[in-house]
Amino acid sequence: MADKPTFREEIAGVLHASMGNPLDMCMQCGTCSATCPVASGGFMDNSPRRIIAMINAGLKERVLKSNTYWYCASCYHCTVRCPRGIDITELMYGLKRYTVWHDKTQEGLIGPVFSEAFVKMIVRTGRSYEPVLATSYLFTLGVPEIIQEAQTATTLMLKGRLPLLPSRIKRLDNFKRVLKRIIPLGDSEE
Amino acid sequence: MKKYAYFPGCSLEKMARSYHDSAIQTLRRLDVELEELEDWNCCGATAYFHVDELLAYTLCARNLAMADKQKLDLVAPCSGCYKNMHATRAHLQHDPALADHINYALEADNLKFDGSSAVRHLIEIFVQDVGLAAVKAKVTQPLKGLRVAPYYGCQILRPRKADEDVEQAHFFEDLLTAIGATAVDFPMKLRCCGGALIITNRKAALSLVRNLLKNAADVGAQVIATACPLCQVNLECYQKLVNQEFGTNFNLPVMYFTQLIGLAFGLPPKQLGIGTELVSTEPVVCHARSNAS
Amino acid sequence: MKHRIGVYVCHCGTNIASMVDVKAVAEYAATLPGVVLARDYKYMCSDPGQELIKDDIKSHKLDRIVVAACSPLLHEHTFRNATAQGGINPYFFQMVNIREHDAWVHTDRAAATEKAKELVRAAVHRVPFHKPLEKKEVRIRPEVLVVGGGIAGIHAALTLANAGKKVYLVEREPTIGGHMAKFDKTFPTLDCAACILTPKMSTVKTHPNITLWTYSDVIKVDGFVGNYKVTVRRNPRYVIEDLCVGCSECIAACVFKEGKFPDEFNLGLGKRKPIYLPFPQATPLVAVIDPDVCLQLKTGKCKKTCVEACGERKAIDFEQEPEIQEIEVGTIILATGFKIFDAKRIPYYGYGTYPGVYTSLEVERLVNASGPTGGELVLRNGQKPKSVAIVHCVGSRDENTNKYCSRVCCMYSLKLAHLVKERTGAEVYNFYIDMRTPGKSFEEFYSKVSGEGVHMIRGKVADVYLENPADKNGRLIVQAEDTLLNMIRKVPVDMVVLGVGLEAHADANDVRRMFNISCSNEGWFLERHPKLAPVNTFTDGIFLAGCCQGPKDIPDTVAQAGAAAAEAMALIDAGSIELEPNTAFVVEEECSGCKTCIPMCPYTAISRNEEKKIAVINEALCKGCGTCVAACPSGAIKQNLFDDEEVFEEINGVLSHV
Repeated sequence: MADKPTFREEIAGVLHASMGNPLDMCMQCGTCSATCPVASGGFMDNSPRRIIAMINAGLKERVLKSNTYWYCASCYHCTVRCPRGIDITELMYGLKRYTVWHDKTQEGLIGPVFSEAFVKMIVRTGRSYEPVLATSYLFTLGVPEIIQEAQTATTLMLKGRLPLLPSRIKRLDNFKRVLKRIIPLGDSEE
Repeated sequence: MKKYAYFPGCSLEKMARSYHDSAIQTLRRLDVELEELEDWNCCGATAYFHVDELLAYTLCARNLAMADKQKLDLVAPCSGCYKNMHATRAHLQHDPALADHINYALEADNLKFDGSSAVRHLIEIFVQDVGLAAVKAKVTQPLKGLRVAPYYGCQILRPRKADEDVEQAHFFEDLLTAIGATAVDFPMKLRCCGGALIITNRKAALSLVRNLLKNAADVGAQVIATACPLCQVNLECYQKLVNQEFGTNFNLPVMYFTQLIGLAFGLPPKQLGIGTELVSTEPVVCHARSNAS
Repeated sequence: MKHRIGVYVCHCGTNIASMVDVKAVAEYAATLPGVVLARDYKYMCSDPGQELIKDDIKSHKLDRIVVAACSPLLHEHTFRNATAQGGINPYFFQMVNIREHDAWVHTDRAAATEKAKELVRAAVHRVPFHKPLEKKEVRIRPEVLVVGGGIAGIHAALTLANAGKKVYLVEREPTIGGHMAKFDKTFPTLDCAACILTPKMSTVKTHPNITLWTYSDVIKVDGFVGNYKVTVRRNPRYVIEDLCVGCSECIAACVFKEGKFPDEFNLGLGKRKPIYLPFPQATPLVAVIDPDVCLQLKTGKCKKTCVEACGERKAIDFEQEPEIQEIEVGTIILATGFKIFDAKRIPYYGYGTYPGVYTSLEVERLVNASGPTGGELVLRNGQKPKSVAIVHCVGSRDENTNKYCSRVCCMYSLKLAHLVKERTGAEVYNFYIDMRTPGKSFEEFYSKVSGEGVHMIRGKVADVYLENPADKNGRLIVQAEDTLLNMIRKVPVDMVVLGVGLEAHADANDVRRMFNISCSNEGWFLERHPKLAPVNTFTDGIFLAGCCQGPKDIPDTVAQAGAAAAEAMALIDAGSIELEPNTAFVVEEECSGCKTCIPMCPYTAISRNEEKKIAVINEALCKGCGTCVAACPSGAIKQNLFDDEEVFEEINGVLSHV
């Protein structure tokens, strides 16, 4: 009977790119956090270094409650500088996927809502379409900000930079069949 | 005549149309043809990888398979698309079992990934394949005295592909020098614009954008050159918002490097998509015109 | 011929006996052809065990011995000695490993016992074919070559010279002293480096047993332990060493009124003239002329005021040529030291970009009284710093540069913190990952420096950037996550000191090839055993001392230098060494001269006899690895103790049940 994997083992092995990520090699030097443009600006509740320490200590619930990984900009600067060769950006991706799969995303975060909307749209048309994505974050803005956003959008539209209609790929049916072969998506028309 | 398979990416249809137009126009002058993938789909950006890695790889693999079918290397102008497809190709080549699994799915669209097409960023074509000498030879209006901040951004150089040095790149500066411009020493040239955070954490993204704009202004840049639509949008379209948030008064044009090359080649601004910006590029265009030889 | 073989099966306490039925093995052995005696015993390696062998040889007239016990690496020597003391040739002995190869790796008693029986049977088949071999004696010349004149080389040379040995000390720079001569105060005692080093340098110069050749390179090494022939090239300084008294009048008189060229000793922070003395206590105190910038040497057109100033001594000689010297020595000590990590490899620390960023070695020169600023800590912008950041682990403990810890940087960074604070009263911040202060009095030093108000921030520095991007001479911001406070620190400072790590010299691989030794994968010269033979190499007669073997501080360097000297002295005083006869040899008549074997030898022991057009193996260099034996297409190379008969008989012994 196999042992139940620790949280660290789960996260270090969350599918392909994160496979074998040497989280336990972390010496807590803080290079990742001080390099991270978002963490060093004070916009994450836990620095990436702290997240790794919590994972290694098995503090799963604290990690799941953190907003750190949803605020990762995917700039990979931490990864190229880590002196122990840990791919921290992939770790952040892995944590995002983990919380989405286990349906444990925090309330109030735009990231999960935005990502799900994005994925649904691509499954539907094969392309992205900015205006639909707007719905995923507008709810977090105050009224003056919504007006501001509408103004920017209008200006862009007048300059011809915002698509009025969503585009679709030609072989959409094939495309949907391709996706179904990978993971059956149920009714992908939702 | 060099030929490549072309993956414009979702942004280049509308939001970054000027990037697409200026790329096609300038490459044509350099005897390079871009053959658009006949039915490309979105690369998944970052959002897809937040939800399911396997599906995300499949999206990219479909594009790669179409390039394999065209028997041409694949060129992506957007750093995000470039990174996703380059990484997908590397993972599938490294893991044949994964490639088999995805190829099983791609069969449903009569496609097969074999990894024969390399993935290139648009700027590499200018700098490596065409070569700086050939670019320089076509310059009729060198952008003499124009102080340009070369903004590499993140996903062109990172993550590392092999063992290369990712902190001391200078190809962007070399390209700008080849078209006669003055590439300023831009300390934050490798820093993040915030990317998708402009949606998911606007406060953070605006702060990053503000730091970049301030740094460029502090070193006397007259224009920021970019090679990625998301960087361009963040730095330009939200400048007004940054000014409101931070009480600054930035008015720094942000252009695609292909637009600058186009101006140096003496191409009409309209062909390069100039005029669709929220921050006027008039000063840059005037500067270019005044150097007409 | 009928042999009389004695077989001994060891219990090794319970190590073997718990898994192998040793009594059964001994009983079985007694039934084998040629075996007249078979015993089992608790500890064969003990004195009584060895006595058994000696007595049995005499009383039973045994002519071959087989011992089944532990690994030959442990006790082959022991039992060969016992055999010899019993009165027969020690190589009439064969050891069987039934511990590491049997008892320790199996869990089935019956199978393990069967295996032991088979292994013993194989040995019994083989041992009658052993030849009576003799150890070869190699005489050891008493002269020693020490390569490298830093503190390691100096200490080794003095130790040997004081013991009456003749030493050649060869140093590549124009002066001895190495890196230590550049330091200001040394940790943990805060001794002045020059004060404790220069007396030793002076003794080296005047010691009757030391021949000091500076500004010289070793260019060729031939030979083997006890008999090395070394070629040294003495490079021209264009000043005759024996005539120059170091008065420096030539330097004062040089047509260049002021120094113009980067001063190597001060790491480019100061300037020197084409003719110069590296530093005031340079040894030998002889001027050097730089041919790349001296007007006379470059153009032939100069007033040569230096020659005029030298006057009657006539020590300057623009016609000086390199001089080749060939020496013969018995042993060699390599003490070639290290170089510091090139901080330009980490561009985000700003070294070479921002004038306020220095390496630790540069700062040693700045705070040193004989340095470019006379010991005043003054920055390139002419000001004294009010706040200084010292960055640990620059180019160390990092997958992207060097993975290892450079061992001395935490201590020297604390030392620099102390010196900077003492000289300037500035706020000092040490940014570290772990504070490594393990040596004697090191913890006390750490406490002392903490007590002086130096800020210790636990966080690796991620970035150094200008406070105002438009002002290169302005303050710098050092950014790190303070992992103990859990907060990002952006500390504005006037000066950043990079605690650069140590690396092997750029030409370490070329040097090691010349001396026929190895480098580790980190680039340091490789020791024979990291714990038990740290100064020996795999090449007999060549020893290592100091940082060329790995980063270390001055106390450890001096200790190692003494150890290397002792190893050399042991060889010299023994006068000769005995070589194991398990070497390969070429059967002349069978060698076709195809030269296949020559490049294959990892110890470069094979050469070609051009007259006879055959290969020749140097027994002293041969380590008996067997590569050439296997490679020879004609089968012309044979190896003592492993000739075809012996090997095939052993195989026959294993398979004879089939």
